[in-house]
Amino acid sequence: MNLMEKLRAVGGSSGAKRPENTRTETDCRHLAVYRPAEDFPGALELTGETLALMSGKEIPADLDPRRILYLDTETTGLGGSGTVAFLVGMGWLTDEGFEVHQFLMRDYPEEPFLLKHVAAGLERFDALCTFNGSTFDVPLLEGRFLMNRMDRGCLDLPHLDLLHMSRRLWKLRLGRCNLSRLEEVILGQPREEDLPGSLVPQRYFDYLKTKNEYLLEDILKHNAQDIISLCVLLNHMAELYRHPEKIRFSEDVYSMGRALERSNHPERARDCYRLAARGKMAPAASAALAGSWRRAGNREEAARIWQEMARTSRGGIRPLVELAKYEEHVRKDPRAALAWTEKALARLSEPVIREDQTVQEWEKELQYRHQRLRRRIRALEAREDAAPRE
Amino acid sequence: MNVTQLAESLRRDNHFMKDVTRWEVIPPWPARTLPFPDWMDERLKPVLAKRGIHALYTHQAHSLEATARGEDVTVVTPTASGKTMCYNLPVLSAILKDPDARALYLFPTKALSADQVSELYEMIEAMGVDIKTYTYDGDTPAAARRAVRQAGHIVVTNPDMLHSGILPHHTKWVKLFENLRYVVIDEIHTYRGVFGSNLANVLRRLMRLCDFYGSHPQFVLCSATIANPRELAETLIGRPVTLIDDNGAPMGERHFVFYNPPVVNRQLGIREGVIPVTRAISGMLLKNGIQTITFARSRLTVEVLTRYLKDMVRDPLGNAGRVRGYRGGYLPTERRSIEKGLRAGTVDAVVSTNALELGIDIGALDACVLCGYPGTIASAWQQAGRAGRRREASIVFFIASSAAIDQYIVNHPDYFLHQSPENALLNPDNLYILLSHFKCAAFELPFEDGDGFGNAPSPEQLLDYLDEEGILRHVEGKYHWSAEDFPASQISLRSAAEENFIIVDITDPANPRVVGEMDRFTAPMLLHENAIYMHEGRQFQVEKLDFDACKAFIRAVDTGYYTDADLNINLGLLDIEKEEPNPRGGVTGLGEVKVTALVTMFKKIRFDTHETLGFGRVRLPETEMHTTAMWWTLPDDLAASFPSDTLKNGMMGIANLLRIVCPLYLMCAQQDIAVIYQVKSPITDKPTILVYDNCPGGIGLAHKAFGMRDVLLQKALQVAEDCGCEYGCPSCVGPVGEIGEDGKRTAMRLLRELTK
Repeated sequence: MNLMEKLRAVGGSSGAKRPENTRTETDCRHLAVYRPAEDFPGALELTGETLALMSGKEIPADLDPRRILYLDTETTGLGGSGTVAFLVGMGWLTDEGFEVHQFLMRDYPEEPFLLKHVAAGLERFDALCTFNGSTFDVPLLEGRFLMNRMDRGCLDLPHLDLLHMSRRLWKLRLGRCNLSRLEEVILGQPREEDLPGSLVPQRYFDYLKTKNEYLLEDILKHNAQDIISLCVLLNHMAELYRHPEKIRFSEDVYSMGRALERSNHPERARDCYRLAARGKMAPAASAALAGSWRRAGNREEAARIWQEMARTSRGGIRPLVELAKYEEHVRKDPRAALAWTEKALARLSEPVIREDQTVQEWEKELQYRHQRLRRRIRALEAREDAAPRE
Repeated sequence: MNVTQLAESLRRDNHFMKDVTRWEVIPPWPARTLPFPDWMDERLKPVLAKRGIHALYTHQAHSLEATARGEDVTVVTPTASGKTMCYNLPVLSAILKDPDARALYLFPTKALSADQVSELYEMIEAMGVDIKTYTYDGDTPAAARRAVRQAGHIVVTNPDMLHSGILPHHTKWVKLFENLRYVVIDEIHTYRGVFGSNLANVLRRLMRLCDFYGSHPQFVLCSATIANPRELAETLIGRPVTLIDDNGAPMGERHFVFYNPPVVNRQLGIREGVIPVTRAISGMLLKNGIQTITFARSRLTVEVLTRYLKDMVRDPLGNAGRVRGYRGGYLPTERRSIEKGLRAGTVDAVVSTNALELGIDIGALDACVLCGYPGTIASAWQQAGRAGRRREASIVFFIASSAAIDQYIVNHPDYFLHQSPENALLNPDNLYILLSHFKCAAFELPFEDGDGFGNAPSPEQLLDYLDEEGILRHVEGKYHWSAEDFPASQISLRSAAEENFIIVDITDPANPRVVGEMDRFTAPMLLHENAIYMHEGRQFQVEKLDFDACKAFIRAVDTGYYTDADLNINLGLLDIEKEEPNPRGGVTGLGEVKVTALVTMFKKIRFDTHETLGFGRVRLPETEMHTTAMWWTLPDDLAASFPSDTLKNGMMGIANLLRIVCPLYLMCAQQDIAVIYQVKSPITDKPTILVYDNCPGGIGLAHKAFGMRDVLLQKALQVAEDCGCEYGCPSCVGPVGEIGEDGKRTAMRLLRELTK
């Protein structure tokens, strides 16, 4: 056996000898898709301020919505240095509508050309918008630039990752937040005849072998649609942030409150909590509202909400505990604190309690508090007894 | 009683001493030291002083000098001689001088990594400097990984993680690759065979990427004592190394006792079992409060002995935490607690497989008992090294089983005491392994026309093959990865078997628990349905083995027996490389073969008496491997001069003799090679004895045996001639019950003819 025969024995053989690949192209393929402005209502009014609210990131207030680059890649695998972005689609708004430009490498030697287009594209914009790009597309492109010994600096743009932003808003209600689900449920535009992403790499390898461009049609369509959806979704989301009162689902309003609180917009967050406090998210929203007031230093407002919750027996044991803390530490009234603690302990023995802490943890905490309060009250009483009477 | 007192009392005990074939006392030796080198960072000295270190042992000083000269270094000294200083000091000095400098530490197991990091942490903390040391392995939380990649000065990992977690994602490790100054590989003696051949290729990939990023790391390698450390190191890293082996660390007096259990049946050559004898000796040490480690060869023996020793110290509540079992397959947390117990002295006795042979820090113990010969001289010394304090006396008992190789050692203690230990062989150019790593390398960075891969032969042919198969795409002078898979995930470095089996305890069906894992080759032997599987001395029965899902389900049982499976092996020829006629007729051949292994049945064996209680059938798919074999055919006229049964017995005798001789003269572990005989071989169509590499692709042992074919037969004959038995015994051709009354005579006659 010679080495080649041995290799075939060891590694298996398809037996097909492939023709030599020769190429002399000097650029990659460039395609463009245009959409009219009416498909993106209000898109030109999007402000940096709203984007900062949505993303929790620092976005210049005067950001021009025409200077956001929407980007999506199609790749030969799921990652690692051997995975290549063979198609990069980039879209942006213009005064006339929305343009998608796709750069396709028809074979590996075209990758540097493709990357040059991508770098040149990125340099013309002030922000980047992707779906899961912070985990996937951007590191992948960084790797490709690095391996082609090109500068990666062009990727350092403020990044709006719609996957993360969507999760903050819709995960509570929807669970999984992949783009096709969002298109269907949130935008009400289910995609038909779409190529599943898992088939993309094999399609491309088949194309490389046959050079039959027809094989790529679905991929190009899929990629363009993804990019258009990014822009539509971003603007839809912006509209919700501008008008939380229009959101139909109290889970979403509540989630928006949480997102705003995390991105340090407590007043807007409290607006959302108040809106959500009317629906089925009421206990969680009230608790969140009270928590937000307490963090803002307004203990009285927080206590008022906890009292309201305690009065209407909403929110389980938490309001009672919070009131005990309030009485003990803010009002310095151990007797009132003891009363709330005892109420909480009594409530704990009821079987329906299920909260984020387990019953045992609550029990332990409350018993500890109970003992401490009893000690304090005894000390207080001793002092009172010792005080000279009139 | 301390070790010295115990040794004195044993030497006065005639009943014990009659079975001792040798009592070797290795005198204590003093420390030899040299001052710290000038270039060592000043901040290191007070930290070392605080640990009582005011100078370096000679081997440490010489290693540091060579490293400072820019050489790649291999340090070979015994356990607990302070090898870690040989790499920690240059690495810390380099980083203190240049905060951008990076180092990569490789340990063969996660356990060792964890140990090393804690020692480094202590030194770095004591200096109060900002040197970040991180472990990067399968247990590193995803959230911490970014910090490791960006900021880790010293990244501690294992070859598997380097192979599948770091190299294929090198673009995320730019800082490391651009600034890599040192690559430290400890315990390199573990990288032999398949594992070593894989690591050598992983390092070829590493070097290729370092070239791409423009760094030129230096290597510091450490090894336990083996015969060919330089060759091993040079094969692993593909370039010359400086060897440092002048151990300057002190050692207390050491007793080495060779004990051969008494013969209980002279006709059959049967001795008292090694397990009961070990039980008695380890038990005696335990009772005398001497902290002892007992090494057993198989997981099963570990479990049996653990149970025996636990029974000796059980308190009224049934607790026996002072005695612990330790082996691969226990979960990491369990192992950490045992290691801690040994260091703290709360564990008095541990029974272990070779898992504790490596440099896991368990402190130095007083005594070590080897229950049977561990298979190689290197292993035996490594295990014995677990007992040995720097100032006080320590004692090692080697207890021979009736296995032939054990008998050879116990009766020829000089072979053990003075023979250089084994060669660690590896073959980075094993075609299976090489091909796999070409894929990984091409994934990591496209090959260009004319590119090499370390010193691998004919890279262009491998690349063309991968191009032909459509895995790579050759275009404009470059080979691009052109497949969807992630090639590193398909290769396991440790054996050719891809996936480990998970062992699930379903004793409480509502609460199934993963208790361990086992490799694919061993699983059919130990986890077939109805096998008794032992874990920490507890018995479980295998309820179901899901071969496709790689899962075994076990349930706690209490039986009086354990099980032992029978393995059936078949060979088919793939290619003849060489065939040369023998002087007496017949041929010696060398070639590639396909070995299929199948477990068909198992025996139930009673505890204590070890009698066979019954048999069971096993229905499992066969496992297959391609490897290299060499063989002798018997001359036709010689074969024809024996009745067929007699010929078969004689050949079986020769195979048994070769099983003893081959590991000793090829200098490898017993499990690395296999010897079988075939009365009518499908390969040669004649009576044939075959020796093959017991791993896919082979690591070169069959080639070596082909070259030493006459010596091997001569030595086999000599073992048979030197043995005092008349008709055969386990120490030479095998017991009479196995080879028949004419077996020994026939084997000797055949060998005399063949060596004429």
